[in-house]
Amino acid sequence: MTPLCYKALSLTGALQRFAYAILLWSVMTAAASAHASLNTTEPRDGSVVSTAPRMIALTFSEPVSPTSLKLTRPDRSSVTLKNFVLKDRTVEITPPDDLSDGSYLLSWRVVSEDGHPIGGSVVFSIGRPNADARGAVVDIDWPVRTGLWIGKVALYVGLFFGVGGAFAIHWFADGSGNALRQLVVILGAGFAGALLSAGFQGLDTVGEPVSRLFVPAVWKAGMATSFGPTVIFAIAALALAGLALASGRGRDARWISISAVITAAFALCLSGHASAADPQWLMRPAVFLHVAAITVWAGALLPLLAEFGKDKEAAGAALHRFSVFIPWAVLVLAVAGCVLAVVQVRTPAGLVTTAYGIVFLVKLGLLALLFALAAVNRWKLTSCSRKGEPAAIRQLVRSIAAETVILLLIFAVAATWRFTPPPRTLIAEVQRTAVVHLETSKAVADVRITPDRVGEVAISAVIAKSDRSPLDPQEVTVVLSNPGAGIEPIRRRAEKGRDGWAVPDIVLPVPGRWRLRLDVIVSDFEITRMEGEIEIAP
Amino acid sequence: MLKKITTTAAILMVGSTAALAHVTLEGKEAPLGSTYKAVLRVPHGCEGKPTNTVRVQIPEGFYGVKPQPKAGWTLGKVKGAYAKAYDNHGSPVTEGVKEVVWSGGNLGDDEYEEFVLRGTIAVDLKAGDMLYFPVIQECPEGLKERWIEVPAAGQKASDLELPAPGVKLLQKTGN
Repeated sequence: MTPLCYKALSLTGALQRFAYAILLWSVMTAAASAHASLNTTEPRDGSVVSTAPRMIALTFSEPVSPTSLKLTRPDRSSVTLKNFVLKDRTVEITPPDDLSDGSYLLSWRVVSEDGHPIGGSVVFSIGRPNADARGAVVDIDWPVRTGLWIGKVALYVGLFFGVGGAFAIHWFADGSGNALRQLVVILGAGFAGALLSAGFQGLDTVGEPVSRLFVPAVWKAGMATSFGPTVIFAIAALALAGLALASGRGRDARWISISAVITAAFALCLSGHASAADPQWLMRPAVFLHVAAITVWAGALLPLLAEFGKDKEAAGAALHRFSVFIPWAVLVLAVAGCVLAVVQVRTPAGLVTTAYGIVFLVKLGLLALLFALAAVNRWKLTSCSRKGEPAAIRQLVRSIAAETVILLLIFAVAATWRFTPPPRTLIAEVQRTAVVHLETSKAVADVRITPDRVGEVAISAVIAKSDRSPLDPQEVTVVLSNPGAGIEPIRRRAEKGRDGWAVPDIVLPVPGRWRLRLDVIVSDFEITRMEGEIEIAP
Repeated sequence: MLKKITTTAAILMVGSTAALAHVTLEGKEAPLGSTYKAVLRVPHGCEGKPTNTVRVQIPEGFYGVKPQPKAGWTLGKVKGAYAKAYDNHGSPVTEGVKEVVWSGGNLGDDEYEEFVLRGTIAVDLKAGDMLYFPVIQECPEGLKERWIEVPAAGQKASDLELPAPGVKLLQKTGN
């Protein structure tokens, strides 16, 4: 072996003697040594520390030499750590000093004195527990959220009261100019809301604070989202409504106002949770009809109020036209609304267990109140008012004002949906599970990894004998590695639960093909190692 | 450079030293039909913790087992029926020690100890095969080191993470 070694190393005299001495020393010491194994780490594997560690220490059962130390950051970039010292059986590594919050994976490979290389991985998180490696958990920026919400409410007011108002003036109130001033102000508010939403959408998209609102790149980012087309069509709808108001009475104005309503409904079905849901052929038209019906209903309220304030007779006529038309609008509104709710919430439990469901219930409560008022208006007050009974008119005016306020509240509540993922998507997230079947001569296992993407995942395994009869192992260890990404095995002891064995949280820092192994201690002296591969999505 | 040479030299050594790793048997080879003294060498504890219990599973075909008591340890013998009868100077042996347990001890992680038992290797085992003695070290806090893996066909003992100590069986000698 020695001459071979000489050749292989082709060293000069002094180094040759040196290498020879080392070889001799290896032979002598190897007899007393064993494979190294990792005893402890600091930070501990799987732990969450409050501040970035100044030093990472790996203590082995015997002295080792590191051959590779690689740290994978929360953003999936990795850096080779060269800064380490050996202190007896401990490898002390100085990590980079710019470690931000999130989960880190240190993949180590060392060679022990007997020359046996061994490897493993240590995962630790800085700052937050359950931090996921995608870095997707961002603190909520309340000023940006508030800005987004105000923008959304203003946009709704502009579209429903403003565009709807222009429609009502031309289709119910015969082109009356009584509500003109209010409607112009409302359209203006809608315009400001549309612009504001675009800016805040941009801030939200790129994760910048409010102070960066006037940076062009932020607006560009906002307009690049699915909300961008909504802003453009919303502004077009507002402009068309303005044009309708400016066109006086007549057929042209009527058609312009109806095109404004269509544009507004189109604008809102271009983005948002509901529009993004499947089946698209059902959801987008449902959003369109829902929005169009609200516009017609809500829009009529302000012009009606204005009419009753000025010309009682004309008001009566407008009210009549409105009340003939409105049951159809409400029918469309309710049917489309039910479709949207069923698809979005999925299960009745979703109504109370998710933020989206709770917002829906609040909105439903307000809606019930609104329908009650509307029903009283329609079947009781309308006929009396048309007969010109002053008391009935006063009551009707008060009731319409109340409806307007309730609608405003509904818009305010609906605008918070921007921040709550619908149960549909939450269910979809949970259901994304990778399943892999493992088999050896001694046992079979069905392993589920949820979710099947980068970050913190839960692993569960149902294990049975190969003939599918029950197997009650003493211990189960889950071992995950990614040779392609240079990640050495991460090991976790599984806990025995009612439905098999589970590792509740293990961080997989990079996507791709991972090797999965279950080390199953079948009985005291019997182990079976079950291997397979899983695909982890980004 | 020093590190590189050490590593290279160490890697070159793998072949000759891998058999010394983990819990191992001192006697590497034994002929069929002979009395074999199994000396189990325990080089370290479990993840830095001391070893309190050492358990050895007696393989089928190793019969008439007598473990050696050890000062400071309680010796336990789990007896049971053999899969078949073995010959003890003309009389058949159908049962005996299947597992040996040394418990109640305290062997530090930085200490070394040997555990001894003796028995007979059945003549009808196959020369050239390995006879494995799976070992479990039990430590405080429920920690265990298991040396219980036996290579499957085509696998080498050095490929295993937790290799069971084994002895190579040789042809029966003349006497």
